[in-house]
Amino acid sequence: MVNMYFFFMFSPFIVAIAGLLGERLRVRKLREITAVLTSLFSLTSIYMIYLAMESNPNKILIAYLHALAPLGAVFEIDRLSIFMAFSAVLLGFFTTLYSYSYMEHDTRLTEYYTLLSAMIVGMVGVAFSGDFFTLFIFWELMGLTSYVLVAFRKDRPEPIEAGLKYFVMGALGSTIIFFGMAFLYGMAGTVNFAQISTVIRGQPINVWLILVFTTFLVGFGIKTAIVPLHTWLPDAHPEAPSPISAMLSGMLIETGLYALTRVLFITFEPSVFQSTIAILSALTMTFANILAILQNDIKRMLAYSSISQIGYMLMGLSSGTVYGILGMLLHVFNHSLMKGLAFLSSGSIVHMTGTRDINRLKGVGRMMPYTTLSLFIAFLGLGGVPSTNGFVSKFILFGSSAEVGNWWLLILGVLNSAFSMGYYLRYMKTLISEPSDEVKNVKEAPKLMVLISLIMAALIILLGIWPEPVLINAERASNALINGLKIYVQEVFS
Amino acid sequence: MEDLAIYVLIFSLFSIGVYCTTKKNFIKILLGIEIVLNSGNLAFIYFSSAHSGLIDPLGQSLVFMSIILGGSVVAVGLSMAVNAYKHYKTLDVRKLRRLKW
Repeated sequence: MVNMYFFFMFSPFIVAIAGLLGERLRVRKLREITAVLTSLFSLTSIYMIYLAMESNPNKILIAYLHALAPLGAVFEIDRLSIFMAFSAVLLGFFTTLYSYSYMEHDTRLTEYYTLLSAMIVGMVGVAFSGDFFTLFIFWELMGLTSYVLVAFRKDRPEPIEAGLKYFVMGALGSTIIFFGMAFLYGMAGTVNFAQISTVIRGQPINVWLILVFTTFLVGFGIKTAIVPLHTWLPDAHPEAPSPISAMLSGMLIETGLYALTRVLFITFEPSVFQSTIAILSALTMTFANILAILQNDIKRMLAYSSISQIGYMLMGLSSGTVYGILGMLLHVFNHSLMKGLAFLSSGSIVHMTGTRDINRLKGVGRMMPYTTLSLFIAFLGLGGVPSTNGFVSKFILFGSSAEVGNWWLLILGVLNSAFSMGYYLRYMKTLISEPSDEVKNVKEAPKLMVLISLIMAALIILLGIWPEPVLINAERASNALINGLKIYVQEVFS
Repeated sequence: MEDLAIYVLIFSLFSIGVYCTTKKNFIKILLGIEIVLNSGNLAFIYFSSAHSGLIDPLGQSLVFMSIILGGSVVAVGLSMAVNAYKHYKTLDVRKLRRLKW
């Protein structure tokens, strides 16, 4: 019965078949409508799985094909997985709907929608996987589709270059993860998360465990864009089509962070990795914020801002407490809305004006009031202004740092957050200053794009004033990660 | 003694692969990525038989899957190489610097 809920995993095939049929039979918009419907179906399926778990807060849902948990490849869905999966499909629904209008004039749309829905399925699979085997397969599905999508507009050289750079780093990262998995398998004799945690967790640190830790930190860190490994991100995010940028920045790098968190907590005690992650967090947010202020390209600035937000999230991971992970997860959800909205509405501006240079976008805000309003709300949320949801999660993140006595990180985080407001305000000021002649004839974006931007902006404000629904689920998720490990192991072996 | 030899082989393959990714030619980088993946494959095969008398089928099935994934990675990489060559007329990654590095 439970396996019924997993039919949405076939949505890339459905979209591909619908696209082919639509092209052959000349049915207009068949693939777009199918893509939107399948993403809506994914959203409903995830919600159904959530409802199936609602009865018992500690319940773990296990789905498998042919072989049971310790031997076969399984999905082990706990509260944390369902939280991440829901964030992914929610943003996926918004971006698919947005693409309907944004990608209208592009060609090869069948490939586009197939790859987009395959990427969403990959993210959900990474969140659901219960062993390294499944994790690696879905990780590669997510990675490969995103490389192609970054280089989607192949008639221009820049996207190809960005995609090539992303491909080299991403592919090397996933092979390094595979290398680390091999040694973990050598030590534990299995790839199942629960079994690995019973064998490995709590052991004294030896040279092999340090090797595994380093490979995982580097491999997952490349996708997560932790600072020495971030160089692909500021090129790949601006050059991708805007819905893809929103998806990459809003959810893909956070899926990397989720995988890192899950694997580190399965394999090590928090005391092992806390100080390393704290240093990386400080580096990530400071470096990215300084570089963001130098950018004149609106999407490139947003890409650097994503790296700095990853720095804040790592702050929660470095504290390693329930409160810290709660802040991290809340910020993952909120950031997926805020950065998704920022990329989508800046995408509308780019779509209507044809440039990403902020100096040439002077005064566009007066021509496109609704899009710019939603962009401003996203900027304010990213800066952490009270009454937006970014404030709530940043408050919890900084609080968690104080909880474990990491005062230097807390002060650095607050300073960075204040500093980041500098470049958001600069962009806001430029967008609403006196319009130049160049942008006098710009019109408001198509209705569908404006509608989606406004819905997401409303969600940001709503969840800033009333954060309880997300907060409760994030708390359950972080409890499932930190206190629920024993239950996780029991459920798998029973 | 055999164990040591295999460890040396695994780590030297890994180092060769990582070294190849620092090269200029994109095809060499792609080969380097594949060599790193194969060092992981070799490690899985070795560890699947190292534990007890019997050979663990889990490690071997994982290697099959990873070979397939490696193939698809190469396919995507080569298609990127073709497109990059069309625009830049070279496969030297250092000449691809239209974006800020």
